[in-house]
Amino acid sequence: MKLSQTWRRWLIRLFLGLWGLQIIWLGWFFAPEVQDLAWRLASHRIGAAIRQEDPFYRWLLVLADKIPPQATYVFLDNYEAGKEIEARYHLTPRRHVLLPPAVPPDFLFYALRQERASYLIIREGDKSWDSQEAVAQSPAFRAVPVPGPGLLFRVDYARLLGRFYD
Amino acid sequence: MIDPALLVCRLLLGLGAVLLLGYGWLALLVPRPLDFRGLEKVALSWGSGATLLTLWMLVLTWLGHNFSLPLIIIPPLALTGVALSVKKMVSGGSRGLSPDETPLTPAPPSPFTDWDWLFVGLLAALFLFATFRAALYPMWAWDTIATWGCKAKVFYQSRGVDLACIEAHNYYPNLVPLLLSYLYFCLGRVNDHLAQGLFPLWGALLLTLLHSLLRRMGLNRTQALGVTTFLALNGTVFVVHLYIAYADLPLAYFTLAAAGLLYLWLMDKAPRGGLALAASFFAGLAWCKYEGPPLAGTVLLAAALTLAWLRPPDLKSRFINLGLPLLGLGAGYLPWRLFSAWRHIEIGADHVHSLYPQQFLQAFSYLGAALVDPFYFGFLWPGLVLALIFCGRSLWRSPRLFLALFLGGNLLAILVAYGVAPTSAEEFPSYIRNTLDRLLLHITPVAALLLGEGVKELGGGPGT
Repeated sequence: MKLSQTWRRWLIRLFLGLWGLQIIWLGWFFAPEVQDLAWRLASHRIGAAIRQEDPFYRWLLVLADKIPPQATYVFLDNYEAGKEIEARYHLTPRRHVLLPPAVPPDFLFYALRQERASYLIIREGDKSWDSQEAVAQSPAFRAVPVPGPGLLFRVDYARLLGRFYD
Repeated sequence: MIDPALLVCRLLLGLGAVLLLGYGWLALLVPRPLDFRGLEKVALSWGSGATLLTLWMLVLTWLGHNFSLPLIIIPPLALTGVALSVKKMVSGGSRGLSPDETPLTPAPPSPFTDWDWLFVGLLAALFLFATFRAALYPMWAWDTIATWGCKAKVFYQSRGVDLACIEAHNYYPNLVPLLLSYLYFCLGRVNDHLAQGLFPLWGALLLTLLHSLLRRMGLNRTQALGVTTFLALNGTVFVVHLYIAYADLPLAYFTLAAAGLLYLWLMDKAPRGGLALAASFFAGLAWCKYEGPPLAGTVLLAAALTLAWLRPPDLKSRFINLGLPLLGLGAGYLPWRLFSAWRHIEIGADHVHSLYPQQFLQAFSYLGAALVDPFYFGFLWPGLVLALIFCGRSLWRSPRLFLALFLGGNLLAILVAYGVAPTSAEEFPSYIRNTLDRLLLHITPVAALLLGEGVKELGGGPGT
């Protein structure tokens, strides 16, 4: 398509103008990030120090101290919350099994035995979960006192019957 | 203060070793490396180096060796050195020059125009931000923590490709996690914020490659810099992917290299050995992400259809030559598939039953909105429509058809993929929102190539 010089110039200017606006908008959009970056650089709060600001991360560090690296744990949480992936990331190489808080006791016990899981982690200790009562009554579970938002249980999986729907 | 400086030095040395390995491979594949400009060589070397190094790491696990820095880096570098020496001996040390050829004398560099300085300044500002943003903040983005970064950490801790402790899309190809774990070996520890500096580097190399391809297509420096900056500073998707450790930016780099080199070959403007070099990027495509092999397939299909349509005089030999990138694709695809079969890693599969017309239509409106919404890619895709108009009939009568077929085919493939996705009606909109920008990112640099053709057709641009 052959365009006249005037049209060509007009189109180029229009596009450059729109693009210029776009670049200004990008600057505005990323300005909070730039601000945060500048503040962190100035206060030397960078790298690993940023993680330390997160209470969930600090809780995971405590859990990492309690759970041996070769152990398997069941993490009771909803995947959508996005916290389970953080736990998995920070607790590697410990073997990780995710189950939802709504899991019934028989399936939870079955999974714990089947996976030979020595620990059970509940992310939100202040909320109720379906197997709460069964876990409290079973001699296979021992609560491990850990400061933080969640609960940690030591599990003697050999004491669980582990038969599916038993 | 000494420790961080030492860590940065170790990181730079680790990245340098990847580049050196890739450069060795480039020098092996092309008869005359002098045909490439300095930065172009760096941009092309990176992809080959990353592919070779990580495939070698897979082989190490296969052979039962634990990862260690010397074992990861010395054998491939030594092998490449030996192969280069053999090549030099065979070619009599002529550096690939036949008697009737004279070495290229590069034209004296022309001074930068004001527009050139503006574009370079904008890119410098972008990469200053992206590099600090990537390397000073720990890994945080969803897929980084859930998949790529998590696997990298596991590979480093287990000193091999051992996924026994997690279930994180274990069947996904592992170029990116293995490269990150290699950097952890270079750093001597898991330092996920420094290793994240890999991604702005990858983005910079993608843009360098785009600039080189545009120059080879015939754009002048200002035009090529303009189109490159237009890709980088348009919408948020590209910028964000510069500082999150996702595999999508590397995949976009491999797609651009594979499609760009094939396009130059179709135009008869490829440097000698360009098709062999393209083959190594097809390998990278397949080894980088699950979407890689289908993307590579569409590149090859678009090339084959273009040849069939244009019917050049050497049609038969050209079709045969397309076997070379196909071989590259196999070289990147098969090792992981065989390894997965050997380790009994379950290959995930979506249970596709049929095409859901409602989803297809919904995806159509989401895709249309994403292409014109400045939030995602700014004015790049609308600009592409203009470029197609400017290209006019030449689109059907030249290898430009290849770029159009590749882009059109992939947009259609995205729609079909959403049309058959087995998701619930409630989940579907969020499923699209979480994936569409990334699927478009894979092909957007190739769209910038076609945009470059439009700029060339206009014969102008800023400053002309």
